[in-house]
Amino acid sequence: MRKTSLLALLLTFVLVASACSLKTKTDVANKPDNSGTTTAAQNDTRVDIELLSMSSNESEINIIRDQLTKNGFNVKLNLQPDYGSFKAQEDGGNFDIALSSWTTVTGNPDYAVRSLFKTGGDYSIISDPELDKLIDEAATETPEQYTDTYKQLEQHLVFDKAYIAPLYISLKSQAVNKEVLNPDTVRLSKSRALAWETIDFKDTSKRDKEPLILTQSSSVLTSLDPIKGNDGSINQLNTNMYVRLINLTDDDKITSDGSLSYNHSIAEGNTEYYFLLRDDISFAKIDNKQAVDTGERVGADDVIFSLDRAKDKNSVPDHRTYSLHEHIKTIETVTDLAALDNVKQSSGKGSIREALDAGLDTKIKELVADKNQADHTAGKYQVVKLTTTEPFPQVLNYLAHQSAGIVSKKQVESINTYDVAKFDVNKDIPYGDQNTVTEGSKYNNTLYASGPYILSYKNDYEGIFYKNPGYRKGSKFEPKIATVKVRFIADSDSALSALRSGEIHLYYGVPETKYDTIESDSKLKLQSIESNAVSYLLFNTSNRDVAKNEDLRKAVLYSINQDDFLQFYSNKKIKAVSTVSPIVKTGNELTADPAKVKEYLDKYKATK
Amino acid sequence: MIQTNLKTSGGYSKAALQRVKRHRTTEYTLAVHTLLTGLLVLAVSALNLFKPYVSDTFLPAMSVLLVISLFHAIALLLVLKFVRRNKRIAPRMAAIAGLLILTSATGNLFALLLGIQLLRRIRGQENPTSAKWEDIWESLTRNVAAMTGLSFIIFLFSISVCSLFTFDYSMATENNYSAILQHPSLAYPLGTDNFGRCLFSRIIFGARTSLIVGLISTAIPVVVGGILGAVSGYYGRRTDNIIMRLLDILYAIPGILLAIAIIAAFGANTVNLILALSIGSIPTYARTMRANVLLVSTYEYVDAARAFGSGDAKIIFKHIVPNSLAPMIVKATLTIGAAVISTSSLSFLGLGVEPHIPEWGNILKLGSTYLETNSYLAIYPGLAIIALVLSFNFLGDGLRDALDPKLS
Repeated sequence: MRKTSLLALLLTFVLVASACSLKTKTDVANKPDNSGTTTAAQNDTRVDIELLSMSSNESEINIIRDQLTKNGFNVKLNLQPDYGSFKAQEDGGNFDIALSSWTTVTGNPDYAVRSLFKTGGDYSIISDPELDKLIDEAATETPEQYTDTYKQLEQHLVFDKAYIAPLYISLKSQAVNKEVLNPDTVRLSKSRALAWETIDFKDTSKRDKEPLILTQSSSVLTSLDPIKGNDGSINQLNTNMYVRLINLTDDDKITSDGSLSYNHSIAEGNTEYYFLLRDDISFAKIDNKQAVDTGERVGADDVIFSLDRAKDKNSVPDHRTYSLHEHIKTIETVTDLAALDNVKQSSGKGSIREALDAGLDTKIKELVADKNQADHTAGKYQVVKLTTTEPFPQVLNYLAHQSAGIVSKKQVESINTYDVAKFDVNKDIPYGDQNTVTEGSKYNNTLYASGPYILSYKNDYEGIFYKNPGYRKGSKFEPKIATVKVRFIADSDSALSALRSGEIHLYYGVPETKYDTIESDSKLKLQSIESNAVSYLLFNTSNRDVAKNEDLRKAVLYSINQDDFLQFYSNKKIKAVSTVSPIVKTGNELTADPAKVKEYLDKYKATK
Repeated sequence: MIQTNLKTSGGYSKAALQRVKRHRTTEYTLAVHTLLTGLLVLAVSALNLFKPYVSDTFLPAMSVLLVISLFHAIALLLVLKFVRRNKRIAPRMAAIAGLLILTSATGNLFALLLGIQLLRRIRGQENPTSAKWEDIWESLTRNVAAMTGLSFIIFLFSISVCSLFTFDYSMATENNYSAILQHPSLAYPLGTDNFGRCLFSRIIFGARTSLIVGLISTAIPVVVGGILGAVSGYYGRRTDNIIMRLLDILYAIPGILLAIAIIAAFGANTVNLILALSIGSIPTYARTMRANVLLVSTYEYVDAARAFGSGDAKIIFKHIVPNSLAPMIVKATLTIGAAVISTSSLSFLGLGVEPHIPEWGNILKLGSTYLETNSYLAIYPGLAIIALVLSFNFLGDGLRDALDPKLS
């Protein structure tokens, strides 16, 4: 007993001793507030706000909730398990703010704003004439001119009207198993999806024997028709299945490397674009689950067909990408060599022909209309000319996007025989329907791939791709590894475990919180660069208070402290102002300001 | 446990130990536990002294706790001195008993139990039910495992109540980006999580949610299932058939699946969580109760009550139910553990309470992603869950032994 009493006595002593120096919560809280005199009559009721998000963004939600709570909001969470239910809630308007993110896969600023913020854009819920004007104005300008226009746009979008509250720019990162793959052959590009054809094993003798194993989270593929999808489930797959007129370099410059064209050129006036087509790519198809060369060349007729359907909203049901290509007016074959000689390049120097001739082994001698007649060794080429509705140099970025992938005119026309207006989802099977490549009774692979790889079949576990035997055979762009398997692993922790155990060779999109784990593993190499992905809060624009009340939106905007995100992700995120931030450095910056929050909240409460 | 406690607290000669052993009455055991629980709560709360700041009510609350603990120590001494086996207790102890019951407001249920026990002894109730009560406590206090379990549960309950005043809730819920993923230290006894929240405070506040959800989601099916079972067992025939077949339908749905379905349909929050966990276990309680009622209603005293002309309701709730309760209590105690695990499992799956609210399953979920780098984030909430479930199981086992007429 004495011992316990002693203990109690000791405790008393400790308590008494420490009481002298102990700080209570109000002591701490009041200190910084001493300067400002608090007004007596304050409306201290908390403002309800509903935050919608997918539950996979738990960390971001917690940070936002914490910041809003500290600034006098009462945050209601609406967490949805997957993108489908999230989208349903968003479409139903069951939110005040929705945690959204956008990746500008084309690498040009127009794409970063057009479909998101322009009236009628495919992802837009905003309608503001001022914004429309600025978006259209910037589209016609060169990079030197548009910086200021985008700065004004940000000012209006974020600071004046608070349609969005920006959070951060993410890094793009991938981890490579350097014991299996040669890390130098694995590209990491700012905008474009991972190119598979360059990837090689460390031991090159394994090229034909072993598969390259990659991973992605989504096993449900929107569509393997390039124009019918623009999301994470198919971007990388379609990019590697369909060749494009043009490509982006790793730092988002336009290039003809690894594309269907030898060269390209912009004509004076920025409305006409010329492409000199290759003749060494042919379509692959799947026969008995193996890739075979169809012998059908990828030519100008396919390019014209593909781009015409890409810009036409009514070419297929569920067209998801027409707004990317709305600036295309016409696309046609050029057969008259004189037409190339007579047109000057946009720089004002030299003719188009000179630009297209540059670096060719055999210069252009003749232009042919039939793709089977083209023969670069004999100087017979095909040239297509694309005309835009207005001067719009950024059109090239859109042509580098997977949705501008070249499909076979013959094959797609033979499959898509249904009437678009009367399309019946239960009866008609469109080209690229994922059911036709999924193992089972509906399996009937009708894909024609113009790119380096073709999807043979998939199930819920993985998708099997084979190299296109007719893709630039013998050149350095010929795919190195014969088989690519894409494992579908939904959970990022599981994917990381799979990489570390050697089950997969490359993990694309490593979460920031896992960098340390990868760097401490000797067989892995982490590559990362700033990406074009921006996370932001989107405000409801239809049926909630935030839709009508600018002050409420601004109160949310100034509650957001981007420094907290940077700290949480140990500086593996970058500050953002809008979705153009990764592409155009406008110099704007959002600074959290609790005083402004209070001011705007008080204004809002006064209207109640 | 008591023995070891006394031994380790040392200073006792062998003779003294013998003397204590001789006096080891139920009251004495309860008094010791009362004091120890109080001191433990005090000690755990005192860890807040190392925090950058404490809650506004910390000092007054700690002083009150200290005074209460001193009083408990005095009570222990008095019990040691004046309470003897098989002897009436002097009525002046009633004041002490009353005060003890008052101090149980801190959540220290041992004080409540001791107070009630003393009052009973003072009133000298020697009727048969009282003797049974004595026996149960006698048997339970002799069971070390059960008392350890009960101690831990009551400690958690008490700290949940006291944490209202001695802990700062914002430490557990507000992010602090300057203290992300810190290893255990004096200021953060169990370290901090990836949002810089104090894991220690989160686990303490999490105890509240886990206990409340565990207790309520067991109490609801006990009451509902108990009533349904009693009615169906007493009336039999068609009533029995209808009620039990309906419950069979419910029984056919796997419990966790039903819970997930309910939460998916109505949204994830604490109330739905409790309902989801409760509904699934109604049939098992109804079955247990029905079986007991079927047995008890054949006894003579039920016939006697009927012969006196008592109504059905009175017979059921006054004569049958009290005598069928023992298995229900044991079953309930054993399933509270399961309910705590279910709560944590659902939170772990993201279907329980909202992610920022401290709940052990939530904390464990967050920690599980840091198993490799900051394993303490998963180990401590895991240990807490294990300890609580184990405690309920030990207590349940002890209660079963104590309530089993064959064993006593």
